[in-house]
Amino acid sequence: MRVASRTMQNWLLPVAALAAWETLGAAGALPRYLSTPTAILAALWEIARTGELFTALAASLYRVAAGFVLGTAGGMLAGLAAGIFDPLVSFLYAIPKVAFLPVLLLLLGLGHASKIALIGFSCFFPVFIASRHAVLSVNKLFVWAAQNMGAPPRAIFFRVIIPGAAPQLFAGFRIALAHAFVVLFAAELIGSKAGLGTIISYAEEWVRFDLMFAGILCFATLGFLGDRLLLAIRWRLLKGQMLGTEELLRQ
Amino acid sequence: MSAGVIASRISSSFARWYSIPLLLLIWQAAVASGLLQSRLLPAPGTVWTALIDETGNGALIHHASVTVSRALTGFALATLAGIPFSVAMARSALVRNLFEPIFFIGYPIPKIALFPVFTYIFGIGTPSKIAFTFLECLYPIVVTCYFGFRSVQTRLIWSAQNCGAGRMTILRRVILPAAMPSIFSGLRIALPISIIVVVITEMIGDSVGLGYYITIWSTRFHFANVYAAIIVIGICGMALDQALLAVRCRAVYWQRGES
Repeated sequence: MRVASRTMQNWLLPVAALAAWETLGAAGALPRYLSTPTAILAALWEIARTGELFTALAASLYRVAAGFVLGTAGGMLAGLAAGIFDPLVSFLYAIPKVAFLPVLLLLLGLGHASKIALIGFSCFFPVFIASRHAVLSVNKLFVWAAQNMGAPPRAIFFRVIIPGAAPQLFAGFRIALAHAFVVLFAAELIGSKAGLGTIISYAEEWVRFDLMFAGILCFATLGFLGDRLLLAIRWRLLKGQMLGTEELLRQ
Repeated sequence: MSAGVIASRISSSFARWYSIPLLLLIWQAAVASGLLQSRLLPAPGTVWTALIDETGNGALIHHASVTVSRALTGFALATLAGIPFSVAMARSALVRNLFEPIFFIGYPIPKIALFPVFTYIFGIGTPSKIAFTFLECLYPIVVTCYFGFRSVQTRLIWSAQNCGAGRMTILRRVILPAAMPSIFSGLRIALPISIIVVVITEMIGDSVGLGYYITIWSTRFHFANVYAAIIVIGICGMALDQALLAVRCRAVYWQRGES
């Protein structure tokens, strides 16, 4: 009974909001730019049938995946290896990397390369900072114990430091992924010829608000699924380390 | 102070800061050797001149003040709304059940996708930027503060109740101080976000602000001004972060040494 009422309360506001949106929209009481949920789903079906959706989805996905992998790999390597860039990083961290978009667009063109570079650039910093903090906060006792038992430096790095740093690394990955989607959206809206952001900006120009919301819906879902995928990977890799921590609450 | 101490201090500050002059040197060398087109990446001296000129004639200061005031307004509104709201979520099961899915499922959704809708509702100028910054800052503040308020140790509350403290006193004197570190970590996540989203939304469409400044000067192929604006954004971001840390130092005085 209690569980049932809790689930009902959980669903109450979203369902009520959707119902109000649909009825008010259908009655014409809302401004036109808000469209209605059914019209949005119809528009989604329309671009899914013409295949437009999947081309855009593929372009956006490719950009975000490539940029994220390159940026996090670079940030992790640099952060784990050394802290030589520290003051530089804390200065560059505060700058929205989108500010470099105009330069990158000129340098690399309107295609994939400029977006991948910008996303990689944005992902680099949170991962760099997280991995640096992670390495510094690995319990020294573990390292000493491994040394005592005669483990070579390489084994210490891969078997002690990396697992010890992994929870914080994942926190960095998660921030980087969120940055990646924000940057992807801005880049596709400002200068691009393909992708979900481009669908949204075209739909705006054509005054097709249902299409605009369909694009927004896809983009939001993509970001949400990306985050869940990352959490699932972390859950598998770090199962033992998260027992009894606040992270379990957040799942 | 002995010579050894001075020498070690110099060498340690050298070790901390040498990467910035090193980068400037590499930059200068790359431009001078013609490796990079100086049109896209002007020499450091050119950028410096642009920075001085544009600050001197007031352009950068004007745009920066617009950007910073938008970011701070959105951030302040999100703080004022978010902290009481997260208290309500942490202390009341009804509020928690009603809003938990909105905040926890909505958290990883890239909210920037909703910006076009915001421009229709609030117009293209300052209100839509502030409203959007509010939304972007609200999520990290509410989620972080909520966990902070929930993880207050129950025995602290029990002992306060034992001493006869009322609900408001417990909230003000026990729960709020205990959650203060989490509140500040939420604010510290939200503050750079506010600057970032204001600049991004200004780049997407506006006629004032640092984001607009960057867009307009890059379409004029005048990249020295673009880099000057990027430097100004970095300085603003660092200054705001330092200011927040200073406030945190006063508010969470018992953790001063740790951060």
